[in-house]
Amino acid sequence: MKKIYLIFLTIVVVGMISSCTDYLESDQYFKDRMTLDKVFTSEEYTEEWLAHSFSFLGGYNMDVASKHNTPHTFADDMYYGDRDETLDIKERGQLSYSRFKLGEYNENEKQGGWGDSYKGIRNASVFIQNIDQNEIFSAEKRADYKAQARFVRAYYYWLLLRKYGPIPILPEEGIDYTKDYDEIAIPRSSYEECADYISREMLLAAKDLPLYRDEQAVARPTRGAALAARAKVLLYAASPLANGNSDEIAQELVDDEGRKLLSTDYNEEKWARAAAAARDVMEMGIYELYVANFRTSGNASFPATITPPYHSEFSEQDWPNGWANIDPFESYRAVFNGTLRASENPELIFTRGQNQGGESIQSMVAHQLPRIGSGWNTHGMTQKQADAYYMNDGDDAPGKDKEIGRGDGSERASGYVTREDMDAGRYKPLTEGVSLQYAHREPRFYASVGYNGSIWHLTNEEEERNREQKVFYYRGDGNGYTNTMFWLRTGIGIKKFVHPRDSYLRNEMGRIVPKAEPAIRYADILLMYAEALNELDGSFTIPSWDGSQSYTITRDISEMQRGVRPVRLRSGVPDYTTDIYGNKEDFRKALKRERQIELMGEGKRYYDLRRWKDAPVEEALPIYGCNVLMNAAQRDLFHTPVPVWSFPTTFSKKMWFWPIQHSELKRNSRLTQNPGWTYND
Amino acid sequence: MLFFLFLGNAIAQQKVEVTGVVTDVSNEPLIGVNITVSDLPGFGTITDIDGRYKISVDDNRKLIFSYIGFETVEVLVGTKRQINVTMNEATTQLMDELVVTGTGTQRKLTVTGAVTSVDVEELKSAPTSSIVNTLAGRVPGIMAMQTSGHPGKNFSEFWIRGISTFGANTSAYVLVDGFERDLNEINIEDIESFSVLKDASATAIYGAKGANGVILISTKHGKPGKINIDAKVETSYNTRTITPEFVDGFTYASLINEARVTRNNEPIYQQEELEILRLGLDPDLYPNVDWKDKLLRDGAMSYRANVNLSGGGATARYFASASYIEEQGMYYTDETLREDYNTNANYKRYNYRLNTDINITETTLLKLGVSGSLQKRNSPGLGDDYVWDQLFGYSPIRTPIFYSNGYVPAIGTGNQTNPWVSSTQTGFNQNWENNIQTNITIEQDFRDYLPGLRFVGKFGYDTNNTSNVLRRKWPEQWRAERARNTAGDIVFTKVSDPREMFQESSSGGNRREFLDLMLSYSKTLSDDHNLGADVKYTQDAFIYTVNLGDDIKNGIARRNQALAGRATYNWKYRYFFDFNFGYTGSENFAIGHQYGFFPAYSVAWNIAEESFVRNNASWLNMFKIRYSHGQVGNDNLGNEHRFPYLYTISGGAPGYQWAEYGNTKSYGGMYYSQVASPYVSWEIATKNDLGTDISMFHDSFQLTLDYFDEKREGIYMARNFLPLIAGLESTPRANVGSVRSRGFDGHFSYNYKVGEVNLTARGNMTYSKNEVMEKDEENNVYPYQMEEGYRVGQTKGLISLGLFEDYEDIRNSPEQHFGTYQPGDIKYKDVNGDGVINDGDRVAIGSTRRPNLIYGMGFTAQWKGIDVNVHFQGAGKSNFFIYGKTVYAFSEGEWGNVLKDLVTDDRWISADISGDPATENPNAPYPRLSFGGNGNNFRESTYWLRDGSYVRLKTVDIGYSLPKQLVNRVRMNNVRIFMVGTNLLTWSPFKLWDPEMANSRGEDYPMTKSITLGLSVNL
Repeated sequence: MKKIYLIFLTIVVVGMISSCTDYLESDQYFKDRMTLDKVFTSEEYTEEWLAHSFSFLGGYNMDVASKHNTPHTFADDMYYGDRDETLDIKERGQLSYSRFKLGEYNENEKQGGWGDSYKGIRNASVFIQNIDQNEIFSAEKRADYKAQARFVRAYYYWLLLRKYGPIPILPEEGIDYTKDYDEIAIPRSSYEECADYISREMLLAAKDLPLYRDEQAVARPTRGAALAARAKVLLYAASPLANGNSDEIAQELVDDEGRKLLSTDYNEEKWARAAAAARDVMEMGIYELYVANFRTSGNASFPATITPPYHSEFSEQDWPNGWANIDPFESYRAVFNGTLRASENPELIFTRGQNQGGESIQSMVAHQLPRIGSGWNTHGMTQKQADAYYMNDGDDAPGKDKEIGRGDGSERASGYVTREDMDAGRYKPLTEGVSLQYAHREPRFYASVGYNGSIWHLTNEEEERNREQKVFYYRGDGNGYTNTMFWLRTGIGIKKFVHPRDSYLRNEMGRIVPKAEPAIRYADILLMYAEALNELDGSFTIPSWDGSQSYTITRDISEMQRGVRPVRLRSGVPDYTTDIYGNKEDFRKALKRERQIELMGEGKRYYDLRRWKDAPVEEALPIYGCNVLMNAAQRDLFHTPVPVWSFPTTFSKKMWFWPIQHSELKRNSRLTQNPGWTYND
Repeated sequence: MLFFLFLGNAIAQQKVEVTGVVTDVSNEPLIGVNITVSDLPGFGTITDIDGRYKISVDDNRKLIFSYIGFETVEVLVGTKRQINVTMNEATTQLMDELVVTGTGTQRKLTVTGAVTSVDVEELKSAPTSSIVNTLAGRVPGIMAMQTSGHPGKNFSEFWIRGISTFGANTSAYVLVDGFERDLNEINIEDIESFSVLKDASATAIYGAKGANGVILISTKHGKPGKINIDAKVETSYNTRTITPEFVDGFTYASLINEARVTRNNEPIYQQEELEILRLGLDPDLYPNVDWKDKLLRDGAMSYRANVNLSGGGATARYFASASYIEEQGMYYTDETLREDYNTNANYKRYNYRLNTDINITETTLLKLGVSGSLQKRNSPGLGDDYVWDQLFGYSPIRTPIFYSNGYVPAIGTGNQTNPWVSSTQTGFNQNWENNIQTNITIEQDFRDYLPGLRFVGKFGYDTNNTSNVLRRKWPEQWRAERARNTAGDIVFTKVSDPREMFQESSSGGNRREFLDLMLSYSKTLSDDHNLGADVKYTQDAFIYTVNLGDDIKNGIARRNQALAGRATYNWKYRYFFDFNFGYTGSENFAIGHQYGFFPAYSVAWNIAEESFVRNNASWLNMFKIRYSHGQVGNDNLGNEHRFPYLYTISGGAPGYQWAEYGNTKSYGGMYYSQVASPYVSWEIATKNDLGTDISMFHDSFQLTLDYFDEKREGIYMARNFLPLIAGLESTPRANVGSVRSRGFDGHFSYNYKVGEVNLTARGNMTYSKNEVMEKDEENNVYPYQMEEGYRVGQTKGLISLGLFEDYEDIRNSPEQHFGTYQPGDIKYKDVNGDGVINDGDRVAIGSTRRPNLIYGMGFTAQWKGIDVNVHFQGAGKSNFFIYGKTVYAFSEGEWGNVLKDLVTDDRWISADISGDPATENPNAPYPRLSFGGNGNNFRESTYWLRDGSYVRLKTVDIGYSLPKQLVNRVRMNNVRIFMVGTNLLTWSPFKLWDPEMANSRGEDYPMTKSITLGLSVNL
């Protein structure tokens, strides 16, 4: 008997023990699943992780884009007339330009950028922390890739900072999502802290990024991209909005403990650091402004060079000391309209390349093209922007800004180009019937403005007869006022980005030449340099980005000219007079106008107006345009600017920064809302 | 070897032959009394028809006389050669009543936890296919609600002590014969014992599975003796408790017009058309069909039959049962199809069970159990749900049943099919489910080595398979235009081409494996100290076997492993101490987080045993106070959350194109498509229970009362409110929630004898209220909009202030942001005082849909062979919103019937329409009519909140047992004829449909009201 029990008990005990071990084990099933280690030890997967980290730069995070996701390419210079519920009920809920200008958007509209940026930040952080285990890559490639991830992470922060103001800066490893909500609540860092963080990260990235990328990699950041982005961040941090701001906005923009997030104490050195950062890019010596050669003959789309009026200093000299051997119009136009491929463009510092999505620059062009080119005919230019362009001799246009109380007493030009004028070769490139208000303007005007009666080349149209169209915006004309959304509220169109070939026939995007997105362009850096120097009273010694040298940064006119002159001369307009260089206020004014002209349509002005604290005035000024209710017979009245009735304007404190969405405020208990916006609905 | 054992024993003693007669107190011979010999299982005899027996036995043995319903008698043989025995009818004392707990049976006296032992006999009187339907109001601690009367789907949901989590699983852990099995498919007649384990001390040994309470069921086993046969047949006629009533065609058309006109729209029906409708002149274009009458029978039959056999000898015993249940649906069927197939909502189930016990040795018992069920459910081709959708949606004036030219009318396809066609002409669906359950148990008593040491080992294996076959078809269907053509003919549009019968099928299946080993020891020291200890090891696996899909996780068994133990001590049955623990693990969690330790202790003091009570209050038979405290877990995270600790990395996310235009160098995106939730684990419940058991006056009055206080922590939830700065592209999960629930449950019974009438009164009540202490939610500015601080499933909505009286009233009230409104529309309260009414004004109103209070009361009277049993059941603290196309009249345009209540009760009618300003009643229960929905009126508010409390006469059971003498003459023991009425009366403030369903739309198969006739026989 005992034996039976013993055997029985042994069986039971052995059975228990054997079944105990590993009974709950499941790892054997999961061994072959994809792991993070596998990702970062595979070339393909590593590339895919990085690609995903960059993918959030599209959509809501575009720098230059049509309005649907991010309307910030539009300010007091450009507008869009579609997406307007008041004209088409189907557009209900869309953010029209007028709602945008009146700040009628709410906290929960157009908010994709916030979440997308932080998704990109997390993915990039995972990449940064794991890439070092990738031994398939050479050490150099590993460093490059890590730096790319670091660049894009910092760039997301920059996009957030520019749009939302100071934002929460996360710990290196990201947020530990397993923790309590209260533990992971992170307050906003100050503007200065954000800028410093981004600047540091960009420096780290710059060290390992290469100088050049080939055509297979134009969308990968370079050292120049990192340094240029850093320069932008530092310039913003030096600008009046974030530097020595004691206005209401600065008083009210605080973190959860009441700490002011915009610096109320002015620090001049911030300008010096911004200037030095821009100079870092310039000292690299690898960027220059693009110029097209002087052309003695041409056709309608690519006309012979229109020589600027004689200037004793610049007309005789070849580029870069003058414009004798270049075609200023084509030099400027080709940078944007797709003539230059990204890899051929010497002034392109950072671009998203093909990753522009549905709101691409091509899409913008589709909205700029007139109805005759099957375009939507809804993106147009304000009178203010059209007036900003200089005359071809560098003077202001007569009657400039007269209607908004900024005139110099002169009247707008009257009269129209006649057949005789044309035959005599006067007023090029204007053709018969065009108002003389548009005569003798600087080349950038003709490359940017679709004035009434300008020629749209549309050579991608199938029918010969639809090409080389002179487009008037008179009422009753095919492209003028109609009872739809598709007409230009100001009677002034936009030519920038438009290639002579572009057409939108049958809504085929393929008929529009692809255009590299100018996210950061060398002209921007040059103007930033001059702008920052102008603000200095003292002298600062700032080390270069890699510490290899140090710059003495002062308000040195020759240095300021290094920034301004190339931009002016490339476009065939004379440099500023010494009077302007000599006067800080005048120079600042001229510089701002230069940026307004040079960077029109590149998504810069909306933010420039705010960082300069000019927005309360500039954004609130009434928008003027041609009197579009007038027909061809009433063309004098058409050319007498009137306020655009459908674009009321205002500026209130809530419009300094984009609101933070309610759900985010509810989820991050330490997050504070931007002034003027609510915490819940 | 066994043989030698017996032989060895036999040689030592002297064998003698003993004879005798066994009688009861009235000297009637008892037939079939079981006579066994002490310590000699497998040895024994039974009395014959005259109560006589004869047995050869050793003279030093005892004879044991046992008979069902009588007290067992033991007699030492000694020198006696004739032993006549008179047996007394058993009167079990409460103290000796046995209670089944997680580690076996124990005397009720020694129970220190909150355990309810259910008298299964009491549940049997309800003629239902599922035992679950009988629990509400009968078992203290169980809260249940039956939400449908649909045959085969009419199983109640139930919770032990209510819901104490908002996690995925709120269900009790149900063990049948020790293994997790479905409670709904078990045959009531097979149940030997039914226990509900409610507190931590009773459930701690189930560790991470016991948090929602445990139900233990053991099935019957054979007893030695002659064959015992029980048979029972029942036939029920089922009608409906409350069926919603809808208005007729003319009223419907008039109301549509009112709804249109009162909102300044043109009426749909012209006056002439209304006349045609009223007089029934044009049944093609202006039909008036009572669809309910066409689709639903007045009642349906159901049948139940059960037979079981048990018996055996001392070496082997058996219990075998078979049962059949059929519940017929209430749908009309097409008589012409009757021969071919059935489209009704019928349900059939066959159950069988065979439990065999074999004594391998004197101390070794082998039990083999096999059971199974086969279920079949029928439904019309387009499915059951359409029948109710259409009954509620298809108005009497939509189409006739047939057009006069024989065309089959329909408005559209899907739920817009002609209801009669949909329920009878679209084929039929069959759902089959079968189960086979096997268990083997070995019980070994080690008394030869260490008295009190026992081992029980169980192994089980169940399979379950379901198959659904949908056989569908439909006829050609036509819709008539409202206007005839110029020739006066009806213009038809074809809605659907005919479809001949086609088939779709699906199937499912799973398997369970169990192993359960237990060692237990008990000892009494010097009569005062009673010790006990148990150790138990279990493992089980649940595996889906069909339709696993392509995710590796689906094919992995859900496995659990546990070591549990228990130690008990009591001193003279006065002071009791219990310690229980479960150390349980689940494969679902990360290594290092797989196992959890769940301890619990309980103490009890039986005051009645104290000498000062015994001496002074001897009428107090038992007065025990108990307290328990401990932890239990809940590891069921819901089906879809397998292995939450794993992350998933996938490709296919958005990538990036690095090359410039005209070139390609792009990569797709790789990312965490699911991030890991590494620390996820089970919920933990910390439970306290303070209870008392009182029994007095010779156990004629008994009372048990328990107060419980439970805190459930670490409720598993998706972290849906991580801020976007976390940058996640998937939702992690975590144990974050916390709920506290408190309440009480108790019951009493009182027996009283008036002359020859035995009276019993019973009552029980369960109340449970919970409060969310912590939940994954974002910070709302208005704290009343958080779930924290409110009940799980708290109803929330606007507070209605009645209807707007006039435009003046509207002007003087805060603006309401839900669409336009007029006088006669609902006016809401501006709770937060911000001057506007919007969703920010939603507050907690009422309680929850599921009742927080369940109670029952019953009376039994017995006089000679007649017994009457009346049981009332009720629920309280329940609120639900009513909505849907019938409640919100014309909210879906012409789709949706109108409740008669809208006409018979009161509604706001503009004086312009009624011509009487009095009809502009601001307190009317229905607002101004509207057509096509009304954003202002049709939203959750107190206006549409209903009180779901009710009391119902759940069962009335009247039985007559034929006199014993008569029955015995035909060799039977007992014959009872009975009649049962179920749900005969209901009292509730809610009258539109059955309140117990707590259904917001009412669109479900109603609860049944039934009359049952039955016969039970015991041979």
